[in-house]
Amino acid sequence: MSKLLNLALGVLTAIGGFVDIGDLVTSGVVGSRFGLSLAWATILGVVGICLYAEMSGRVAAITGRGTFDLVRERLGPRAGLANLTASFFVTALTFAAEIGGVALSLELVTSVNYLLLVPWIGLVMWFVVWRVKFTYLENTFGILGLALLAFGVALWRLHPDWSNLLHQVVAPHKPGTESLQVYFYYAIALFGAAMTPYEVFFFSSGGVEEKWSKKDLAVERANVFVGFPLGGMLSLSIAAVASLVLLPAQIGVSNLSQVGLPIAVAGGKILLAFSLLGFVAATFGAALETGLSCGYSVAQYFGWQWGKFVSPRKAARFHLVVLLSLLFAVAAVLTTIDPVKLTEYSVVFSAVALPLTYFPILVIANDPDYMGENVNGRLTNALATVFLALVIIASVAAIPLMIWTKAGQ
Amino acid sequence: MIRHGRSIGVGLVTIALATSACVGPATTIAAYEGKARRAAQDALSAVNTALLGVRIHERGSLLENYFETMLSQTEDDISSVQNSFDSIQPPNSKSSDKLRDQLDNLLSDGVSGIAQLRISARREDGPALVQAATQLAPTAKDLSQFVESHGG
Repeated sequence: MSKLLNLALGVLTAIGGFVDIGDLVTSGVVGSRFGLSLAWATILGVVGICLYAEMSGRVAAITGRGTFDLVRERLGPRAGLANLTASFFVTALTFAAEIGGVALSLELVTSVNYLLLVPWIGLVMWFVVWRVKFTYLENTFGILGLALLAFGVALWRLHPDWSNLLHQVVAPHKPGTESLQVYFYYAIALFGAAMTPYEVFFFSSGGVEEKWSKKDLAVERANVFVGFPLGGMLSLSIAAVASLVLLPAQIGVSNLSQVGLPIAVAGGKILLAFSLLGFVAATFGAALETGLSCGYSVAQYFGWQWGKFVSPRKAARFHLVVLLSLLFAVAAVLTTIDPVKLTEYSVVFSAVALPLTYFPILVIANDPDYMGENVNGRLTNALATVFLALVIIASVAAIPLMIWTKAGQ
Repeated sequence: MIRHGRSIGVGLVTIALATSACVGPATTIAAYEGKARRAAQDALSAVNTALLGVRIHERGSLLENYFETMLSQTEDDISSVQNSFDSIQPPNSKSSDKLRDQLDNLLSDGVSGIAQLRISARREDGPALVQAATQLAPTAKDLSQFVESHGG
């Protein structure tokens, strides 16, 4: 019974924890400009993250070691450092975007300017990282993030033409008002938002924190193959409600308050309040995940003691990296850079860094010295290779398209 | 390797800033018209957001703090659009000057209209809010016509 409960809890937290500020903003922007004609990019991203998160979780369960520790050992310090540099840069940028997301969400609740809230959010976040146990932290924000199911309820209450929505998904058609390069720029942004590198680091490091072993592989796979796709459905529902309410009204999403408007149209104050709870929980939870991922990556690479399963005193350097990353993130948002723009850049730069993140995981998951009989099967390798090719294409195209389209204008 | 990684990071941030912050001159009338159309679309989005927000608020479906923040953010958005558009150096022709005046007037109407909504909302003055929305509605129509007449 407790195993079943653990399974359900893991799946629920995977759903609630899937959506972050990148998904909220990018899905809202895309839905309000392209309808569901870019749903294929989200679906591709979800399949890709499932594939590689399962691989990294399996590696963590079998070896009991963190990703960067293994990457350095298997590929050498130089390749490991390239992986660390790219991943840390993107994760720190995403961390700042998530802190901005928490502040913008709380501004919608309190109407206090988000910049005044940022230092307090930093303080609370540090307290949570310092004092709260990993399991409580992961489960609490994952479960509260389920309040974002308000988008699914809103979609149902808007009584859409389901066949038309399905048609947009299965037969994508670029709107005539948008150029092809802008269309593909946002496809890469959605792909990057779904496959953000920190999700994989956090998932695998979390496995080590929770002392996964071979017998936990079933739970790990259920989290990935049930929880992540349902989280992806949540992203699609954000785009769908934006396409139903904002697109016909010629409203393009440029701030977080616009993302929530369709909820108010469909379900009034109560549903809007639920969605706001979801905004805060999802962004705060993701901020914790990205902050911890900054610490995980650096500490694992340098071979320091890491994790929340030991006291902060015993993992002092790990906690120091998290603290410095938090200070950077808070300072970045306090420069008054638009958090929504910061989010848009973080998802595109995620796409740039993807090959450096995912290629080493594929190598280790195929090494029998580490994995024994649990190495990748043929089907997994075939799919992973296809996705690696897609990831490289997205990585190469991201910056030229960003310049060409002036970041999707 | 560290230096290489750092230079990549600096490069990416520079690209991000370059793609977002620069508002260059428009060398041809067509380019200027394109930038004007884009500005009008963004302004229309802001005005329509504010008007939709008022409609939902009138139905009692929007939380007060959410509504006020939304209006404030929308006001920031349209002010930013006007500042960016006004900083573009137009080509040396009468038609581009006419285009600039036409859109600038619409953007000013939009900025002051949304500011009026924000003031009324914070004073919790329902009738003034409705009146301000009624006065803003023609601006949305004019912006929409502007977009259509310039290739939107």
